[in-house]
Amino acid sequence: MQSELKYVGKSVRRKDGPDKVTGRAVYTQDVRLPNTLVGRILRSPHPHARIVRIDTSRARALPGVKAVITVEDTKGIKHGFVETPRYPPDQEVLARGKVVHVGEEVAALAAVDALTAQRALDLIEVEYEVLPAVFDPEEAMRPGAPEIHPSHPKAPSGLANVGGTTATEWGDVERGFAESDYVREDRFDCQLRTHGYLEPHVTLAQWENGKLNVWTSSMGTFVKRAKLAKVLDLPQSSVRIHKTYVGGTFGGKIDLYSHEYCACHLSMLTGRPVQITASREEIFNAYRHSQPLTLEIKTGVKKDGTIVAQRIRAINNAGAFRGSGVVVIFLAWGFTMIPYRIPNLKYEGFSVYTNNTVRAPQRGHGAPKVRFAIESQMDMIAEALGIDPVEIRLRNARGPGEKLPNGDDTHRGNLSECIRVAAERSGLLAKFGRDRSQPPKGTIRRGIGIGVSAYMGGTLIYPNGSGVIVKMNDDGTAIVLTGAIDIGQGSETVIAQIVAEELGVTPDDVKIISSDTDTTPQDIGAWISGMTYVTGNAARQAAGNAREKLLQVAAEKLGVRADELVAADKVVSHRLNPELRMTYREVVASSIAKRRGDTIIGEGFWRTMRDEPAHPSLATTRGRWTENYAFSAQVAEVEVDIETGEARLVKAYTVHDCGFPINPALVKGQIDGQVSMALGHAFMEEVLVKDGYTLNPNWLEYRMPTIHEMAESEDADVITEQYRVGQPYRTKEVGEGLISGVLAAMGNAVYDATGVRLRSTPFSAERILEGLRDLEFQKRKKHKEVRA
Amino acid sequence: MLRSDPQARAALKAPAQVVSLRVNGEWREIAVKPRVTLVEAIRDLVGLTGTKASCESGTCGACTVLLDGRPVVSCLTLAVACDGMEVRTVEGLTDGEKLSALQEAFLEYGAVQCGFCTPGMLMSATALLERDPKPDRETINKALEGNLCRCTGYNGIVDAVLAASGQTRPRKE
Ligand code: FES
Ligand code: FES
Repeated sequence: MQSELKYVGKSVRRKDGPDKVTGRAVYTQDVRLPNTLVGRILRSPHPHARIVRIDTSRARALPGVKAVITVEDTKGIKHGFVETPRYPPDQEVLARGKVVHVGEEVAALAAVDALTAQRALDLIEVEYEVLPAVFDPEEAMRPGAPEIHPSHPKAPSGLANVGGTTATEWGDVERGFAESDYVREDRFDCQLRTHGYLEPHVTLAQWENGKLNVWTSSMGTFVKRAKLAKVLDLPQSSVRIHKTYVGGTFGGKIDLYSHEYCACHLSMLTGRPVQITASREEIFNAYRHSQPLTLEIKTGVKKDGTIVAQRIRAINNAGAFRGSGVVVIFLAWGFTMIPYRIPNLKYEGFSVYTNNTVRAPQRGHGAPKVRFAIESQMDMIAEALGIDPVEIRLRNARGPGEKLPNGDDTHRGNLSECIRVAAERSGLLAKFGRDRSQPPKGTIRRGIGIGVSAYMGGTLIYPNGSGVIVKMNDDGTAIVLTGAIDIGQGSETVIAQIVAEELGVTPDDVKIISSDTDTTPQDIGAWISGMTYVTGNAARQAAGNAREKLLQVAAEKLGVRADELVAADKVVSHRLNPELRMTYREVVASSIAKRRGDTIIGEGFWRTMRDEPAHPSLATTRGRWTENYAFSAQVAEVEVDIETGEARLVKAYTVHDCGFPINPALVKGQIDGQVSMALGHAFMEEVLVKDGYTLNPNWLEYRMPTIHEMAESEDADVITEQYRVGQPYRTKEVGEGLISGVLAAMGNAVYDATGVRLRSTPFSAERILEGLRDLEFQKRKKHKEVRA
Repeated sequence: MLRSDPQARAALKAPAQVVSLRVNGEWREIAVKPRVTLVEAIRDLVGLTGTKASCESGTCGACTVLLDGRPVVSCLTLAVACDGMEVRTVEGLTDGEKLSALQEAFLEYGAVQCGFCTPGMLMSATALLERDPKPDRETINKALEGNLCRCTGYNGIVDAVLAASGQTRPRKE
């Protein structure tokens, strides 16, 4: 069937494109219901304080205010990003008893218009007793630090505020270090970066006839439904999340947010629709950003650069609730062990509560930080050993058919191949070290660097798998029901391509109905890097199932065996005698007539690792993870002005294995977007926080890449040909793993340009200048010593 | 945002004014309070929701519309100040069902992902091409510097503008 691919593997135009360039695409903020009330949230002005008293009576009395809620009005059901026996849900939808970060939700209200709602917020009186607060995770861990929440019962005793730990080891690291020719230890930090989705958080809820209709900007409507239903204490069938287009998420819209709950609760109280929109300032001040991770890495290598042992300690500044902090310290181990062989490893990770805003996943979920640290250290080691950055990586990189420490398999994944192609395409070795050995005239220095990464796709987290339904229409076209949500990555297009290919229709013949929890089957959502793989394969099955039924009906009608027939271009015909044929229209008509009205409906379902029970242990890392690992190597060329310290990305080369690219143009879009986000992380972006307060809560002071910072982005997809025959649906991750290698590459390139090694991101002008001054000072000191 | 109660009270009490706007070629009369912004007027009162509201503080360009042919951020423009003016929004770019060359190019060159920046981006780029049919890179950068896009890295957007102005780059396969 798949010997010649018609639509899969082609850059078919986006299905949602026409709606998006004409303004017809409906986002959550565009949904209008008559009589809608405006909801607003009252937030904590303190990073840590006991709530002595809340008085909402004056707000309630204001004309135009329809309802006010505090935690006392809720059922007190907790939720969490992770909900497991070890990590039970830990957060209520509104603060109870105390607030633990600035911006925490204390009360919510609904009023007839925005001005009234705003006035009413000012009328809510809250008396706080301010408590000592702590913002730095290492301070927070110390015994005697202000306690935000009790440490996890399984955390090492004596440490405060430890929300969770991950610990794993294999081999014998100490012996490994003893057997190494060269050992070094470094510490790396990174900043708080925000997701920067253009569409703000917004939710519209309407309670009607015992049913809650919800429109919300999210990354997975089924996950949202499960969490909302739980905290509202409603059966899932009473909650319907409707489809809307989503204006960017990047990880920041998967958690359950208080405003989502509040809009629902307020609508249930008032019987009117309630909309809550977060202002950009609120998002910066109070919503969830990334996870600043500190990594201490000790690595021992042989003279030729082969890694012998590695010891890693990761400390995550997890913010004021557990959030996804305990996942990040688990993943940080994962992003360490996938790309390189590490014979002896000892890893420990701590997720630590601080009085900062809660953290969310963010594109890459820790990988950018881990790869930045490890790849920087790889270059330092290479330099100390006198070998080049390509050689040291090739020595350690994984190839196809390798077993990973958790029992997973790399299958065809081949990091070595990615490294080789990236080095060759970019001319890395010819350019490397050029401006350092022969500084050019003027103040601009060029540098080049490499970084690698790997990412897993489609891992098991609720709801673990996806279903798809393909319904044939009378005219031979098809309607696809899928829970997959299009957040801009192009899932609707990809699914249409797959169904078209397998069913023998064109992508234009396929209409997608998506992400509505009442009318479409359950879906994993757009947040664990597996939609094309998991939902895509469910779509393939559903289309195949519909095709089989078409063939069956045609076979009956034509009086031949179904396996003698083929289906293509909306015609079923006999393999040997093409005269014997029926159009899909005729087949469907026949099915409806003969089967007393049965139309043709195909069903499909897919889950990664069907035989594995669940996600591996976050605490011990035991358990298999996925069958789907994507590898990549990226090279960055940067320019640094040594007078101002300003650096910019000039060109990025991305060499990756995303399995078989269903739509190469969409793959390219993901790569370009990640390069852009990575350069923002490298050179521009930082949420500045002082004592829990955001100092730059807007896009004037928090700079994201503009068109001026656009960098040239070249990419090559390796190993593709191996998948083309027989495995065109062996797709892998491509939407979030590619921030990491290029971020690391930029750090290495800054060093190559200037000799300044930065162990913290962002590589700001100040840091680079400081580094340059330091180098100058060292040089002079040496000079003096020599003369003395 | 209003910071004090007297301010809020005054805003609530201020009488509405009738404003005439020619929106995508059609004259509309709307009654607006003095503090209503153009983006609110277009989205909530005229009912055209293609124009997006993102930062509502003039920093992202998502709300860009053309006011008498010039791109403005409609979140920082008061509706009462637009009386008698012509407003063009993303809904006015097509000729019936037919997409403009720029809209076509946006789809062809990967200039659209989540699409939230797209209406504003299209309006800024339309204004650019109307005053400079063959802009160079520098000019494109200047014209689009106020429009943030978090998804595409701008590569597809630049390609699309170049293509729509007949300065085609090699089409990605
Ligand atoms: S919404 Fe107007 S500039 Fe951002
Ligand atoms: S396409 Fe998403 S912000 Fe531009």
